[in-house]
Amino acid sequence: MSRVHVTCTINGDPIEFLCDGGQTLLDALRDEVGLTGAKEGCGTGDCGACSIVMDGRLLCSCLALAPEADGTTISTVEGLASGDDLHPLQQCFLEGAALQCGVCTPGFLVAAKALLDRNPDPTETEIRYGLAGNLCRCTGYDKIVRAVQTAAQTINES
Amino acid sequence: MTVTEPKPSYKYIGTRPVRHDGVEKVTGRARFAADLNLPGQLHGIAVRSPHAHARIVSIDTSEAEAMPGVKSVITGDDFPAVAPGDRNYDMCVNVIARDKVFYEGHAVAAVAAITREQAQQAAAAVKVAYDVLPPVLTIDDALAPGAPVLHGHMLTAGADPPAEEPSNISNITRFAGGDLDAGFAAADLVIEREFTTQPVHQGYIETHACVADTGQDGHTSIWCSSQGHFNVRSSTATLLGWETTRIRVIPAEIGGGFGGKTTIYLEPLAVAMSAKAGRPVKMVMSRDEVFRATGPAPGTRLKVKLGVQSDGNLVAGDAYLIYTNGAYAGPGGLLGAMTVFESYDIENFNIEALDVVINTARSAAYRAPAAPLTAFAMETLLDEVATELGIDPMDLRLQNAVTEGDPSTMGFPFARIGFVECLEAIRDHPHYTAPLGPNQGRGLAAGYWFNIGESSSATVNLNEDGTATVVTGSPDIGGSRASMALMAAEVLGIDVYDIRPVVGDTEAVGFTDVTEGSRATFATGMAVVEASRKMVVELRGRAAKMMGVDVDDIDWVDGQAVYTGSDGEKDPLPLAAITGKAKRTGGPLTTTGSLEAHGAGPGFAVHLCDVEVDQETGVVRVVRYTASQDAGTAIHPSYVEGQIQGGVAQGVGWALNEEYIYDSDGVMENPSFLDYRVPVASYLPMIDAIIVEVPNPAHPYGVRGVGETGIVPPIPAVANAIHNATGCRLRDLPMSPIRVLDAITSNGGSKGA
Amino acid sequence: MPVRVHLSSNLRGPTGGVAEVEAEGATVGALIDDLDRRYPGLGDALRSGVSVVINDLLIAHPDYEPVADGARIYFVPQTAGG
Repeated sequence: MSRVHVTCTINGDPIEFLCDGGQTLLDALRDEVGLTGAKEGCGTGDCGACSIVMDGRLLCSCLALAPEADGTTISTVEGLASGDDLHPLQQCFLEGAALQCGVCTPGFLVAAKALLDRNPDPTETEIRYGLAGNLCRCTGYDKIVRAVQTAAQTINES
Repeated sequence: MTVTEPKPSYKYIGTRPVRHDGVEKVTGRARFAADLNLPGQLHGIAVRSPHAHARIVSIDTSEAEAMPGVKSVITGDDFPAVAPGDRNYDMCVNVIARDKVFYEGHAVAAVAAITREQAQQAAAAVKVAYDVLPPVLTIDDALAPGAPVLHGHMLTAGADPPAEEPSNISNITRFAGGDLDAGFAAADLVIEREFTTQPVHQGYIETHACVADTGQDGHTSIWCSSQGHFNVRSSTATLLGWETTRIRVIPAEIGGGFGGKTTIYLEPLAVAMSAKAGRPVKMVMSRDEVFRATGPAPGTRLKVKLGVQSDGNLVAGDAYLIYTNGAYAGPGGLLGAMTVFESYDIENFNIEALDVVINTARSAAYRAPAAPLTAFAMETLLDEVATELGIDPMDLRLQNAVTEGDPSTMGFPFARIGFVECLEAIRDHPHYTAPLGPNQGRGLAAGYWFNIGESSSATVNLNEDGTATVVTGSPDIGGSRASMALMAAEVLGIDVYDIRPVVGDTEAVGFTDVTEGSRATFATGMAVVEASRKMVVELRGRAAKMMGVDVDDIDWVDGQAVYTGSDGEKDPLPLAAITGKAKRTGGPLTTTGSLEAHGAGPGFAVHLCDVEVDQETGVVRVVRYTASQDAGTAIHPSYVEGQIQGGVAQGVGWALNEEYIYDSDGVMENPSFLDYRVPVASYLPMIDAIIVEVPNPAHPYGVRGVGETGIVPPIPAVANAIHNATGCRLRDLPMSPIRVLDAITSNGGSKGA
Repeated sequence: MPVRVHLSSNLRGPTGGVAEVEAEGATVGALIDDLDRRYPGLGDALRSGVSVVINDLLIAHPDYEPVADGARIYFVPQTAGG
């Protein structure tokens, strides 16, 4: 089977990769591009561990085919920090102990960033519904929600 | 935080530093097992049984072996034979079936190929002929006269008289104390109820994964996600019939375990295929495989009877507990028997517990195994007793709660425990008296877990610049590395960020048991403290040499060697000054601590839950939650709170939603996160965690394990809240909308008895 | 000097249901040997899957644990965990 050539922008960098027509975007990011921050927790779009943003839309990358990425602009957890400067969400997750095992964390950070981009001052309920596509089995969500609240405040005050 | 007694003032313990592994995890760089790839790596896939119970007639791998890219195909025949009744039989034949399959999803073969797609196609081409047998899927199936017997060699342990014929009952446990008949005769109120619960999965977000690389010299390295890499090593060696020294296991970051990663599934398959192909083999389970072939916690049927005097004094308890352990013998019933009456002082009791096997995946441990279910029975019964007698449910518990010196169900007297303190912390919390809204109800429940000790090792290496590396053998599943660094910082007196805590592989640190039983911060923490204290002894010696004084005149204070002798004043020597001169004073500064930890202090928790019940749909929403738990001493309070909050969320899911659903052939019908619904953020409120600190006398800093107890009270807390809101007692899990609605409807739709 | 040994109720088959018995031994292992002499079969029951509580400490693998005069020893089933 011939491979599909995909050209896109990932975290600001021009990227080209070859993929199989039936390969998921998640697998292509992890195996062809070498960005393993997005995780496969289910492969069926139910856990959000593979969350990325493609052309401004939050997406479970396990539900997209890799060729669909051609010509798009993608951001992943690896693009959240600017050099050594962590994004306020990352900093608040660390300081608020909003992660335990950490496997869902990349997906939560990407989803939370998408939420705050859309709604810079969300209520607790809006945060909870905004992150309802992401499963965390360790934290009970309490510290995640608080970290997002604190991050929103930090961003809005800066 | 509720501090119940004065404690030593600590400099680092009890603070909340950012965890040392945190930045890697928030930037997506932390390496979990599935993130690793090796040059020349093959992709392995297990071939799994579509039948719940069948005899394997033949396996034809010839077509699969001839397919493009396929480099290795294995079956049970590639592993040493293991005799039924051998103590490793269950573990070995669970990883790969031999003559029989015992559940849908049971691995019967495995294939490795250059690409995952090739491996998938080859796996589908492995031809397995089955002689399908009738499945045993429920407790009733298992106990029915003439039921198909899963294991022809299994005689019931603990049977009296001894079992002579095999059955599906693997074990019977009996505990008794006092005089049961006299106890019930002295009671003014006797209530007996029956409860049923279904198997549930631990639901870790990271699926099982490993990479195995077997070299030409026959030695293998395994990178994997597990709660215990030393256990992966010994179990894999056992399955393969290898010497332990042929296997090195390197722990990857672990994406959740909750007990479900205390056993092995993939590693021996990957090693065997890697050895056969001469290339590394990577295996990653799909979520579907995780549901069908790993985990679940047991399902149960529980009958509990309580006798109470009119003043609330519990005088008799009788429990008959049945736990399913999946396809092989398991400890569910035993642990249920050890927990059902453990929190209360009941003089006259009788407990009988059966462990049965059925044709579902072999049960694995799940956070305080068995205890959430006995708590469901016991704590909802207590609630009923309180209602019947007109006693406040808090007062009923305070009146009967075990305290120091009271006998446990097993006979020994409890040491210092914090149950009453946990009850009082909830009683004194504003939540306890806050007003409720319409259709809302409040439930109180308590929980208990033993916690365990076991073996742990730690190495402390001081670096040239005065920083320290602390190596332990405990996989970090919830922030334990930060706790290790805090305890080392406290002893050494250097900043917690000057300590690098790492998890060493099986060749880099001493033997350490699995991270289970809430033991990492307790037991491995003891090893860290021991190694750090030895280091202080070493540092004092080096400092004495540098100062030219007697070591007895050197104290270690706040990270410095301080001269206390009478020969004038001397400048203190900070740690970095000593490490900088290590070459001249005796060489590298390395100490180890290896121990078998005794005296894991029991953990108690008390939860208060408010629910709102939609009377038209039966949907239950948890609207407020407060949980207290005795942590002994909280080393890193944020992660103690996190353990409590995580336990609550899992318990609420167990209470309201989660269950395995099988069809009549034993095929799981909901093997995805879409159909097996775990709680999401919008499903839960904030969870107020109150840390109670009643120090454990057996630990140098008073630590009790905190990982498990938090999952014990939520099920009854939710059930009692539903009763408070609706007047309905639900005794079958999950308390799904349809069950709640049925209960409300048959109760006349109003808040009744 | 004999010490008092308490058996959790699932371990009392060989003692005919008696909860507390006496035995001698300098270590828990020696104590178990003595118990097996006094109550044949009890040794096997106590050698696998059983912990002890001595002086408030739960000990999972106690064979070589010293037994002091006047100690009270509690044999209990071994626990597990997740």
